[in-house]
Amino acid sequence: MNFSRRGRALAALVGPSALFLCLFFLLPLAFVLLQSFQGENGAFSLHQYASFLRSPRFLIVYGRTLKFGIMVTALSALLAYPASYALVRMDKGKRSVLMSIVILPLMTSPVARTYAWLVILGRFGLINQLLRGLGITHEPARLLYTQGAIVVGLAQLFLPLMVLSLVSALENIPPDSEEAALSLGANRLTAFFRVILPLSADGFILGSILVFTGSITAYVTPAILGGTGVLTLATLMQQEALVLMNWTDATIIAVVMVLSTLVFYLVLRRLRPETA
Amino acid sequence: MNRTKFALVVLIILYVFLLGPFLVIFVASFGQQAVMTFPPHGFSLKWFDKVFHQQMFLDSFWTSLYVALLATASALLLGVPAAYAFVRYNFRGKNLLETIISSPVIVPGLVIGFALLRFFVLIGNLPVLFGLYLGHTAILIPYALRVVAASLRNFDVDVEEAAVSLGAPRLRSFFLVVLPNIRAGVAAAFILSFITSFNNVPVSLFLTGPGVATLPIQMLVYMEYYFDPTIAALSSILIVVTVLIVQAAERAMGLSRYV
Repeated sequence: MNFSRRGRALAALVGPSALFLCLFFLLPLAFVLLQSFQGENGAFSLHQYASFLRSPRFLIVYGRTLKFGIMVTALSALLAYPASYALVRMDKGKRSVLMSIVILPLMTSPVARTYAWLVILGRFGLINQLLRGLGITHEPARLLYTQGAIVVGLAQLFLPLMVLSLVSALENIPPDSEEAALSLGANRLTAFFRVILPLSADGFILGSILVFTGSITAYVTPAILGGTGVLTLATLMQQEALVLMNWTDATIIAVVMVLSTLVFYLVLRRLRPETA
Repeated sequence: MNRTKFALVVLIILYVFLLGPFLVIFVASFGQQAVMTFPPHGFSLKWFDKVFHQQMFLDSFWTSLYVALLATASALLLGVPAAYAFVRYNFRGKNLLETIISSPVIVPGLVIGFALLRFFVLIGNLPVLFGLYLGHTAILIPYALRVVAASLRNFDVDVEEAAVSLGAPRLRSFFLVVLPNIRAGVAAAFILSFITSFNNVPVSLFLTGPGVATLPIQMLVYMEYYFDPTIAALSSILIVVTVLIVQAAERAMGLSRYV
Protein backbone atom coordinates (compact mmCIF):
# COMPACT_ATOMS: atom_id res chain seq x y z
CA MET A 1 0.00 0.00 0.00
CA ASN A 2 2.75 2.35 1.06
CA PHE A 3 4.77 1.47 -2.02
CA SER A 4 1.94 2.08 -4.42
CA ARG A 5 1.16 5.41 -2.78
CA ARG A 6 4.75 6.49 -3.32
CA GLY A 7 4.59 5.18 -6.86
CA ARG A 8 1.45 7.13 -7.58
CA ALA A 9 2.95 10.31 -6.13
CA LEU A 10 6.06 9.91 -8.30
CA ALA A 11 3.95 9.24 -11.37
CA ALA A 12 1.99 12.42 -10.70
CA LEU A 13 5.20 14.41 -10.33
CA VAL A 14 7.17 13.11 -13.31
CA GLY A 15 4.43 11.68 -15.51
CA PRO A 16 2.99 14.84 -17.09
CA SER A 17 6.32 16.23 -18.35
CA ALA A 18 7.53 12.82 -19.57
CA LEU A 19 4.23 12.25 -21.37
CA PHE A 20 4.27 15.73 -22.90
CA LEU A 21 7.78 15.21 -24.30
CA CYS A 22 6.99 11.69 -25.55
CA LEU A 23 3.98 13.02 -27.47
CA PHE A 24 5.29 16.34 -28.73
CA PHE A 25 8.98 15.69 -29.04
CA LEU A 26 10.07 12.04 -29.23
CA LEU A 27 7.14 10.82 -31.33
CA PRO A 28 7.54 13.52 -34.04
CA LEU A 29 11.28 12.89 -34.05
CA ALA A 30 10.82 9.12 -34.46
CA PHE A 31 8.29 9.78 -37.19
CA VAL A 32 10.73 11.96 -39.15
CA LEU A 33 13.50 9.39 -38.70
CA LEU A 34 11.27 6.58 -39.98
CA GLN A 35 10.19 8.69 -42.93
CA SER A 36 13.78 9.30 -43.95
CA PHE A 37 14.14 5.56 -44.64
CA GLN A 38 11.11 5.43 -46.89
CA GLY A 39 11.81 5.11 -50.59
CA GLU A 40 9.61 6.31 -53.43
CA ASN A 41 7.25 3.32 -53.27
CA GLY A 42 6.97 3.58 -49.49
CA ALA A 43 9.20 0.59 -48.78
CA PHE A 44 12.38 0.69 -46.68
CA SER A 45 15.25 2.14 -48.67
CA LEU A 46 18.67 3.65 -48.15
CA HIS A 47 18.84 4.94 -51.68
CA GLN A 48 17.91 8.54 -50.86
CA TYR A 49 20.63 8.64 -48.16
CA ALA A 50 23.24 7.19 -50.50
CA SER A 51 22.57 9.66 -53.28
CA PHE A 52 22.25 12.76 -51.10
CA LEU A 53 25.20 12.07 -48.78
CA ARG A 54 27.45 11.60 -51.82
CA SER A 55 26.37 14.79 -53.56
CA PRO A 56 29.15 17.40 -53.72
CA ARG A 57 26.64 20.06 -52.68
CA PHE A 58 26.07 18.32 -49.34
CA LEU A 59 29.71 17.34 -48.78
CA ILE A 60 30.99 20.90 -49.30
CA VAL A 61 28.41 22.35 -46.91
CA TYR A 62 28.99 19.63 -44.30
CA GLY A 63 32.77 20.08 -44.38
CA ARG A 64 32.39 23.84 -44.13
CA THR A 65 30.01 23.56 -41.17
CA LEU A 66 32.40 21.29 -39.25
CA LYS A 67 35.27 23.68 -40.05
CA PHE A 68 33.25 26.58 -38.61
CA GLY A 69 32.61 24.53 -35.48
CA ILE A 70 36.32 23.87 -34.98
CA MET A 71 37.33 27.47 -35.72
CA VAL A 72 34.75 28.97 -33.36
CA THR A 73 35.68 26.52 -30.58
CA ALA A 74 39.40 27.30 -30.98
CA LEU A 75 38.81 31.06 -31.11
CA SER A 76 36.58 30.89 -28.03
CA ALA A 77 39.14 28.90 -26.06
CA LEU A 78 41.99 31.26 -27.03
CA LEU A 79 40.11 34.33 -25.81
CA ALA A 80 38.20 32.73 -22.94
CA TYR A 81 41.16 31.11 -21.12
CA PRO A 82 43.08 34.32 -20.31
CA ALA A 83 39.84 36.25 -19.78
CA SER A 84 38.43 33.67 -17.35
CA TYR A 85 41.78 33.59 -15.57
CA ALA A 86 41.56 37.36 -15.09
CA LEU A 87 37.94 37.06 -13.92
CA VAL A 88 38.73 34.41 -11.32
CA ARG A 89 41.56 36.52 -9.87
CA MET A 90 39.26 39.52 -9.36
CA ASP A 91 37.41 40.42 -6.19
CA LYS A 92 33.89 39.06 -5.89
CA GLY A 93 32.04 42.35 -6.46
CA LYS A 94 33.77 43.30 -9.71
CA ARG A 95 33.55 39.75 -10.94
CA SER A 96 29.81 39.35 -10.49
CA VAL A 97 29.20 42.61 -12.37
CA LEU A 98 31.39 41.40 -15.25
CA MET A 99 29.77 37.94 -15.24
CA SER A 100 26.31 39.47 -15.54
CA ILE A 101 27.53 41.41 -18.60
CA VAL A 102 29.21 38.42 -20.22
CA ILE A 103 25.88 36.57 -20.59
CA LEU A 104 24.27 39.44 -22.55
CA PRO A 105 24.95 37.98 -26.03
CA LEU A 106 23.11 34.81 -24.93
CA MET A 107 20.15 36.78 -23.67
CA THR A 108 19.59 39.28 -26.50
CA SER A 109 17.50 38.59 -29.55
CA PRO A 110 19.67 36.66 -32.04
CA VAL A 111 18.34 38.79 -34.90
CA ALA A 112 19.28 42.01 -33.09
CA ARG A 113 22.71 40.69 -32.16
CA THR A 114 23.49 39.50 -35.67
CA TYR A 115 22.09 42.65 -37.29
CA ALA A 116 24.79 44.59 -35.44
CA TRP A 117 27.42 42.74 -37.50
CA LEU A 118 25.70 43.92 -40.70
CA VAL A 119 26.30 47.48 -39.51
CA ILE A 120 29.93 46.70 -38.73
CA LEU A 121 30.81 44.60 -41.79
CA GLY A 122 28.50 46.10 -44.44
CA ARG A 123 29.54 48.04 -47.57
CA PHE A 124 29.14 51.35 -45.74
CA GLY A 125 29.73 49.82 -42.34
CA LEU A 126 32.16 50.66 -39.57
CA ILE A 127 35.14 48.70 -40.87
CA ASN A 128 34.82 49.77 -44.50
CA GLN A 129 34.46 53.46 -43.53
CA LEU A 130 37.49 53.07 -41.29
CA LEU A 131 39.56 51.46 -44.06
CA ARG A 132 38.56 54.19 -46.50
CA GLY A 133 39.14 56.96 -43.98
CA LEU A 134 42.65 55.71 -43.38
CA GLY A 135 43.27 55.50 -47.12
CA ILE A 136 43.92 51.76 -47.04
CA THR A 137 41.20 50.91 -49.57
CA HIS A 138 39.20 52.91 -52.10
CA GLU A 139 36.51 50.39 -52.96
CA PRO A 140 34.51 48.91 -50.08
CA ALA A 141 35.93 45.49 -49.20
CA ARG A 142 33.58 42.55 -49.28
CA LEU A 143 33.29 41.47 -45.65
CA LEU A 144 29.67 40.35 -45.45
CA TYR A 145 28.43 37.04 -46.82
CA THR A 146 31.85 35.50 -46.21
CA GLN A 147 33.05 32.62 -44.07
CA GLY A 148 34.89 35.03 -41.78
CA ALA A 149 31.70 36.96 -41.06
CA ILE A 150 29.96 33.77 -39.93
CA VAL A 151 32.85 32.70 -37.69
CA VAL A 152 33.01 36.13 -36.04
CA GLY A 153 29.24 36.23 -35.48
CA LEU A 154 29.20 32.71 -34.02
CA ALA A 155 32.16 33.48 -31.77
CA GLN A 156 30.34 36.45 -30.24
CA LEU A 157 27.33 34.26 -29.52
CA PHE A 158 29.13 31.26 -28.05
CA LEU A 159 32.12 32.82 -26.25
CA PRO A 160 29.99 33.42 -23.12
CA LEU A 161 29.36 29.66 -22.81
CA MET A 162 33.12 28.98 -22.88
CA VAL A 163 33.76 31.74 -20.32
CA LEU A 164 31.05 30.42 -17.96
CA SER A 165 32.43 26.85 -18.19
CA LEU A 166 36.04 27.93 -17.71
CA VAL A 167 35.35 30.33 -14.85
CA SER A 168 33.62 27.62 -12.83
CA ALA A 169 36.50 25.22 -13.55
CA LEU A 170 39.29 27.72 -12.77
CA GLU A 171 37.57 28.75 -9.53
CA ASN A 172 38.34 25.35 -8.07
CA ILE A 173 42.08 25.51 -8.74
CA PRO A 174 43.96 26.84 -5.71
CA PRO A 175 46.18 29.76 -6.83
CA ASP A 176 48.99 28.11 -4.85
CA SER A 177 49.30 25.23 -7.32
CA GLU A 178 50.31 27.60 -10.11
CA GLU A 179 52.63 29.54 -7.79
CA ALA A 180 54.23 26.26 -6.76
CA ALA A 181 54.94 25.31 -10.36
CA LEU A 182 56.41 28.75 -11.08
CA SER A 183 58.57 28.82 -7.95
CA LEU A 184 59.89 25.37 -8.82
CA GLY A 185 61.19 26.80 -12.07
CA ALA A 186 58.44 26.14 -14.61
CA ASN A 187 57.94 28.96 -17.07
CA ARG A 188 54.46 30.40 -17.63
CA LEU A 189 53.67 28.25 -20.67
CA THR A 190 54.72 25.07 -18.87
CA ALA A 191 52.72 26.10 -15.83
CA PHE A 192 49.69 26.60 -18.07
CA PHE A 193 49.99 23.32 -19.97
CA ARG A 194 51.08 21.14 -17.03
CA VAL A 195 49.04 22.63 -14.19
CA ILE A 196 46.18 24.92 -15.25
CA LEU A 197 45.04 23.03 -18.36
CA PRO A 198 44.80 19.54 -16.78
CA LEU A 199 43.07 20.92 -13.69
CA SER A 200 40.50 22.81 -15.76
CA ALA A 201 40.08 20.11 -18.42
CA ASP A 202 36.55 19.32 -17.31
CA GLY A 203 35.31 22.87 -17.82
CA PHE A 204 37.21 23.15 -21.10
CA ILE A 205 35.61 19.98 -22.48
CA LEU A 206 32.14 21.02 -21.33
CA GLY A 207 32.64 24.46 -22.90
CA SER A 208 33.86 22.88 -26.14
CA ILE A 209 30.80 20.62 -26.34
CA LEU A 210 28.49 23.62 -25.94
CA VAL A 211 30.37 25.86 -28.38
CA PHE A 212 30.96 23.23 -31.07
CA THR A 213 27.47 21.70 -31.11
CA GLY A 214 25.96 25.19 -30.93
CA SER A 215 28.09 26.41 -33.84
CA ILE A 216 27.35 23.53 -36.21
CA THR A 217 23.59 23.81 -35.67
CA ALA A 218 23.18 27.61 -35.43
CA TYR A 219 20.71 29.09 -37.91
CA VAL A 220 20.32 32.86 -37.50
CA THR A 221 24.01 33.80 -37.73
CA PRO A 222 24.79 31.98 -41.02
CA ALA A 223 21.39 32.99 -42.43
CA ILE A 224 22.09 36.71 -41.96
CA LEU A 225 25.88 36.87 -42.31
CA GLY A 226 26.38 34.12 -44.91
CA GLY A 227 23.27 34.48 -47.01
CA THR A 228 22.69 31.92 -49.72
CA GLY A 229 26.32 32.23 -50.87
CA VAL A 230 27.91 30.58 -47.83
CA LEU A 231 25.50 27.84 -46.74
CA THR A 232 25.88 25.75 -43.60
CA LEU A 233 23.95 22.61 -42.63
CA ALA A 234 21.25 24.70 -40.93
CA THR A 235 20.73 27.16 -43.78
CA LEU A 236 20.92 24.36 -46.37
CA MET A 237 18.20 22.52 -44.46
CA GLN A 238 16.01 25.64 -44.44
CA GLN A 239 16.58 26.06 -48.21
CA GLU A 240 15.69 22.45 -48.96
CA ALA A 241 12.57 22.50 -46.79
CA LEU A 242 11.07 25.95 -47.28
CA VAL A 243 12.44 27.11 -50.65
CA LEU A 244 12.92 23.95 -52.73
CA MET A 245 10.18 21.99 -50.88
CA ASN A 246 12.50 19.00 -50.93
CA TRP A 247 11.35 17.30 -47.73
CA THR A 248 13.41 14.14 -48.20
CA ASP A 249 16.74 15.93 -48.37
CA ALA A 250 15.76 18.29 -45.54
CA THR A 251 14.97 15.23 -43.41
CA ILE A 252 18.34 13.64 -44.18
CA ILE A 253 20.11 16.88 -43.18
CA ALA A 254 18.12 16.86 -39.93
CA VAL A 255 19.28 13.31 -39.21
CA VAL A 256 22.91 14.21 -40.05
CA MET A 257 22.70 17.22 -37.70
CA VAL A 258 21.34 15.18 -34.81
CA LEU A 259 23.89 12.38 -35.29
CA SER A 260 26.84 14.80 -35.60
CA THR A 261 25.84 16.57 -32.39
CA LEU A 262 25.28 13.29 -30.58
CA VAL A 263 28.57 11.70 -31.66
CA PHE A 264 30.59 14.76 -30.71
CA TYR A 265 28.76 15.00 -27.39
CA LEU A 266 29.37 11.34 -26.51
CA VAL A 267 33.03 11.33 -27.60
CA LEU A 268 33.90 14.47 -25.65
CA ARG A 269 31.94 13.36 -22.61
CA ARG A 270 34.08 10.24 -22.45
CA LEU A 271 37.14 12.46 -22.29
CA ARG A 272 35.89 14.20 -19.17
CA PRO A 273 37.85 13.26 -16.06
CA GLU A 274 36.38 10.54 -13.82
CA THR A 275 35.77 13.00 -11.01
CA ALA A 276 33.09 14.77 -13.06
CA MET B 1 54.13 42.12 -19.43
CA ASN B 2 53.29 39.81 -16.53
CA ARG B 3 50.61 37.15 -16.80
CA THR B 4 47.95 39.06 -14.86
CA LYS B 5 48.32 42.08 -17.13
CA PHE B 6 48.17 39.89 -20.24
CA ALA B 7 45.01 38.20 -18.96
CA LEU B 8 43.48 41.60 -18.20
CA VAL B 9 44.21 42.89 -21.72
CA VAL B 10 42.53 39.81 -23.24
CA LEU B 11 39.59 40.34 -20.90
CA ILE B 12 39.15 43.90 -22.19
CA ILE B 13 39.40 42.72 -25.82
CA LEU B 14 36.77 40.06 -25.06
CA TYR B 15 34.33 42.60 -23.63
CA VAL B 16 34.83 45.00 -26.55
CA PHE B 17 34.15 42.09 -28.92
CA LEU B 18 31.05 40.96 -27.02
CA LEU B 19 29.51 44.35 -26.33
CA GLY B 20 30.88 46.66 -29.06
CA PRO B 21 28.34 45.46 -31.64
CA PHE B 22 25.47 46.44 -29.30
CA LEU B 23 26.84 49.97 -29.03
CA VAL B 24 27.30 50.20 -32.81
CA ILE B 25 23.71 49.18 -33.57
CA PHE B 26 22.40 51.57 -30.94
CA VAL B 27 24.24 54.52 -32.50
CA ALA B 28 23.31 53.45 -36.06
CA SER B 29 19.59 53.41 -35.32
CA PHE B 30 19.56 57.22 -34.87
CA GLY B 31 20.85 57.91 -38.41
CA GLN B 32 18.88 59.80 -41.04
CA GLN B 33 19.72 57.92 -44.23
CA ALA B 34 17.65 55.02 -45.50
CA VAL B 35 20.84 53.03 -46.19
CA MET B 36 22.70 51.71 -43.16
CA THR B 37 25.92 53.69 -42.79
CA PHE B 38 28.31 53.87 -39.91
CA PRO B 39 28.98 56.38 -38.52
CA PRO B 40 25.43 57.59 -39.32
CA HIS B 41 24.73 60.99 -40.88
CA GLY B 42 22.49 63.37 -39.00
CA PHE B 43 20.16 62.55 -36.14
CA SER B 44 16.64 61.25 -36.40
CA LEU B 45 14.09 59.29 -34.42
CA LYS B 46 12.05 58.34 -37.49
CA TRP B 47 13.10 54.68 -37.49
CA PHE B 48 11.84 54.26 -33.93
CA ASP B 49 8.63 55.93 -34.99
CA LYS B 50 8.38 53.53 -37.91
CA VAL B 51 8.78 50.48 -35.63
CA PHE B 52 5.69 51.46 -33.65
CA HIS B 53 3.66 52.10 -36.78
CA GLN B 54 4.37 48.83 -38.54
CA GLN B 55 1.36 46.61 -37.91
CA MET B 56 3.41 43.46 -38.58
CA PHE B 57 5.84 44.24 -35.76
CA LEU B 58 3.02 45.01 -33.32
CA ASP B 59 1.12 41.82 -34.24
CA SER B 60 4.18 39.61 -34.05
CA PHE B 61 5.21 41.17 -30.74
CA TRP B 62 1.89 40.11 -29.19
CA THR B 63 2.23 36.64 -30.74
CA SER B 64 5.71 36.26 -29.22
CA LEU B 65 4.50 37.53 -25.87
CA TYR B 66 1.52 35.12 -25.72
CA VAL B 67 3.59 32.12 -26.79
CA ALA B 68 6.44 32.96 -24.40
CA LEU B 69 4.16 33.48 -21.39
CA LEU B 70 2.06 30.36 -22.00
CA ALA B 71 5.03 28.13 -22.80
CA THR B 72 7.01 29.39 -19.80
CA ALA B 73 4.09 28.88 -17.41
CA SER B 74 3.47 25.37 -18.79
CA ALA B 75 7.15 24.42 -18.64
CA LEU B 76 7.33 25.48 -15.00
CA LEU B 77 4.10 23.67 -14.09
CA LEU B 78 5.44 20.51 -15.71
CA GLY B 79 9.11 20.96 -14.79
CA VAL B 80 9.01 21.96 -11.13
CA PRO B 81 7.28 18.75 -9.89
CA ALA B 82 9.63 16.64 -12.03
CA ALA B 83 12.67 18.48 -10.66
CA TYR B 84 11.40 17.85 -7.12
CA ALA B 85 10.99 14.11 -7.78
CA PHE B 86 14.45 13.79 -9.37
CA VAL B 87 16.24 15.65 -6.58
CA ARG B 88 14.39 14.09 -3.63
CA TYR B 89 13.75 10.49 -4.62
CA ASN B 90 15.47 7.48 -6.07
CA PHE B 91 13.21 5.18 -8.02
CA ARG B 92 13.20 2.58 -10.74
CA GLY B 93 13.37 4.04 -14.24
CA LYS B 94 14.73 7.35 -12.93
CA ASN B 95 17.62 7.39 -15.40
CA LEU B 96 15.36 6.67 -18.36
CA LEU B 97 12.88 9.38 -17.33
CA GLU B 98 15.68 11.88 -16.80
CA THR B 99 17.02 11.09 -20.28
CA ILE B 100 13.58 11.54 -21.83
CA ILE B 101 12.94 14.86 -20.12
CA SER B 102 16.37 16.32 -20.86
CA SER B 103 16.50 15.04 -24.45
CA PRO B 104 15.31 18.24 -26.19
CA VAL B 105 18.57 19.86 -25.06
CA ILE B 106 20.77 17.79 -27.34
CA VAL B 107 18.55 18.00 -30.42
CA PRO B 108 19.08 21.13 -32.56
CA GLY B 109 16.11 23.54 -32.45
CA LEU B 110 15.82 23.51 -36.23
CA VAL B 111 15.26 19.73 -36.17
CA ILE B 112 12.65 20.03 -33.41
CA GLY B 113 10.70 22.63 -35.39
CA PHE B 114 10.99 20.57 -38.56
CA ALA B 115 9.87 17.32 -36.91
CA LEU B 116 6.88 19.06 -35.30
CA LEU B 117 5.86 20.58 -38.63
CA ARG B 118 5.94 17.17 -40.33
CA PHE B 119 4.04 15.67 -37.40
CA PHE B 120 1.33 18.35 -37.36
CA VAL B 121 0.81 17.93 -41.09
CA LEU B 122 0.29 14.21 -40.48
CA ILE B 123 -2.21 14.51 -37.63
CA GLY B 124 -4.20 17.26 -39.31
CA ASN B 125 -4.00 21.00 -39.26
CA LEU B 126 -3.41 22.50 -35.85
CA PRO B 127 -3.80 26.24 -35.31
CA VAL B 128 -0.40 27.88 -35.85
CA LEU B 129 -0.40 29.44 -32.40
CA PHE B 130 -1.02 26.06 -30.75
CA GLY B 131 1.83 24.46 -32.70
CA LEU B 132 4.21 27.24 -31.64
CA TYR B 133 3.07 26.80 -28.05
CA LEU B 134 3.76 23.03 -28.10
CA GLY B 135 7.20 23.42 -29.69
CA HIS B 136 8.28 26.16 -27.30
CA THR B 137 7.03 24.27 -24.24
CA ALA B 138 8.98 21.18 -25.33
CA ILE B 139 12.30 23.05 -25.45
CA LEU B 140 11.62 24.94 -22.19
CA ILE B 141 10.77 21.93 -19.97
CA PRO B 142 14.36 20.62 -19.62
CA TYR B 143 15.64 24.16 -19.20
CA ALA B 144 13.19 25.01 -16.39
CA LEU B 145 13.84 21.61 -14.80
CA ARG B 146 17.62 22.09 -14.75
CA VAL B 147 17.46 25.55 -13.17
CA VAL B 148 14.91 24.55 -10.52
CA ALA B 149 16.75 21.30 -9.72
CA ALA B 150 19.96 23.27 -9.14
CA SER B 151 18.28 25.45 -6.57
CA LEU B 152 16.49 22.45 -4.96
CA ARG B 153 19.87 20.78 -4.41
CA ASN B 154 21.01 23.79 -2.40
CA PHE B 155 17.97 23.62 -0.13
CA ASP B 156 18.39 21.72 3.11
CA VAL B 157 16.22 18.56 3.09
CA ASP B 158 16.03 18.58 6.91
CA VAL B 159 13.93 21.75 6.96
CA GLU B 160 11.28 20.06 4.84
CA GLU B 161 11.52 16.83 6.84
CA ALA B 162 11.01 18.82 10.04
CA ALA B 163 7.77 20.25 8.67
CA VAL B 164 6.61 16.80 7.59
CA SER B 165 7.51 15.16 10.91
CA LEU B 166 5.59 17.89 12.73
CA GLY B 167 2.51 16.75 10.83
CA ALA B 168 2.37 18.88 7.69
CA PRO B 169 1.17 16.91 4.67
CA ARG B 170 3.74 16.63 1.86
CA LEU B 171 1.86 18.87 -0.53
CA ARG B 172 1.31 21.53 2.11
CA SER B 173 4.93 21.48 3.19
CA PHE B 174 6.00 21.83 -0.42
CA PHE B 175 4.02 25.04 -0.85
CA LEU B 176 4.74 26.46 2.60
CA VAL B 177 8.34 25.37 3.13
CA VAL B 178 10.05 24.25 -0.08
CA LEU B 179 8.66 26.72 -2.62
CA PRO B 180 9.43 29.89 -0.62
CA ASN B 181 13.00 28.66 -0.23
CA ILE B 182 13.60 28.00 -3.92
CA ARG B 183 11.73 31.08 -5.17
CA ALA B 184 14.93 32.67 -6.53
CA GLY B 185 15.56 29.56 -8.63
CA VAL B 186 11.96 29.46 -9.86
CA ALA B 187 12.09 33.16 -10.73
CA ALA B 188 15.39 32.64 -12.59
CA ALA B 189 13.84 29.69 -14.45
CA PHE B 190 10.89 31.89 -15.41
CA ILE B 191 13.05 34.73 -16.74
CA LEU B 192 15.48 32.45 -18.61
CA SER B 193 12.65 30.40 -20.13
CA PHE B 194 10.72 33.50 -21.14
CA ILE B 195 13.77 35.05 -22.83
CA THR B 196 14.60 31.75 -24.56
CA SER B 197 11.10 31.46 -25.99
CA PHE B 198 10.72 35.14 -26.89
CA ASN B 199 14.02 35.12 -28.82
CA ASN B 200 13.67 31.68 -30.39
CA VAL B 201 14.13 31.39 -34.15
CA PRO B 202 14.99 27.76 -35.07
CA VAL B 203 11.88 26.10 -33.57
CA SER B 204 9.53 28.87 -34.74
CA LEU B 205 11.01 28.99 -38.26
CA PHE B 206 9.06 25.95 -39.45
CA LEU B 207 6.03 26.48 -37.23
CA THR B 208 4.95 29.97 -38.22
CA GLY B 209 2.13 30.01 -40.75
CA PRO B 210 0.32 32.44 -42.99
CA GLY B 211 -0.37 35.64 -41.09
CA VAL B 212 1.06 34.40 -37.79
CA ALA B 213 4.74 35.03 -37.06
CA THR B 214 6.78 35.58 -33.93
CA LEU B 215 8.73 38.83 -33.66
CA PRO B 216 12.19 37.39 -34.49
CA ILE B 217 10.78 35.60 -37.55
CA GLN B 218 9.00 38.78 -38.66
CA MET B 219 12.29 40.67 -38.31
CA LEU B 220 14.06 38.12 -40.52
CA VAL B 221 11.31 38.39 -43.15
CA TYR B 222 11.46 42.21 -43.08
CA MET B 223 15.25 42.12 -43.54
CA GLU B 224 14.86 40.16 -46.75
CA TYR B 225 13.00 43.06 -48.37
CA TYR B 226 14.17 46.27 -46.68
CA PHE B 227 17.61 47.55 -45.78
CA ASP B 228 16.62 50.67 -43.87
CA PRO B 229 17.54 51.12 -40.18
CA THR B 230 14.07 50.12 -38.89
CA ILE B 231 15.46 46.76 -37.76
CA ALA B 232 18.37 48.60 -36.10
CA ALA B 233 15.89 50.72 -34.11
CA LEU B 234 13.83 47.67 -33.14
CA SER B 235 17.02 45.80 -32.22
CA SER B 236 18.13 48.70 -30.03
CA ILE B 237 14.82 48.61 -28.18
CA LEU B 238 15.11 44.84 -27.66
CA ILE B 239 18.72 45.14 -26.49
CA VAL B 240 17.95 47.90 -23.98
CA VAL B 241 14.97 45.97 -22.56
CA THR B 242 17.10 42.81 -22.29
CA VAL B 243 19.91 44.66 -20.50
CA LEU B 244 17.42 46.09 -17.99
CA ILE B 245 15.80 42.70 -17.33
CA VAL B 246 19.13 40.86 -17.01
CA GLN B 247 20.63 43.48 -14.68
CA ALA B 248 17.52 43.56 -12.46
CA ALA B 249 17.44 39.76 -12.32
CA GLU B 250 21.17 39.62 -11.58
CA ARG B 251 20.71 41.95 -8.63
CA ALA B 252 17.61 40.16 -7.32
CA MET B 253 18.68 36.53 -7.71
CA GLY B 254 22.12 36.24 -9.31
CA LEU B 255 20.78 35.22 -12.72
CA SER B 256 24.19 34.39 -14.27
CA ARG B 257 24.63 31.48 -11.83
CA TYR B 258 21.70 29.70 -13.44
CA VAL B 259 22.54 30.16 -17.13
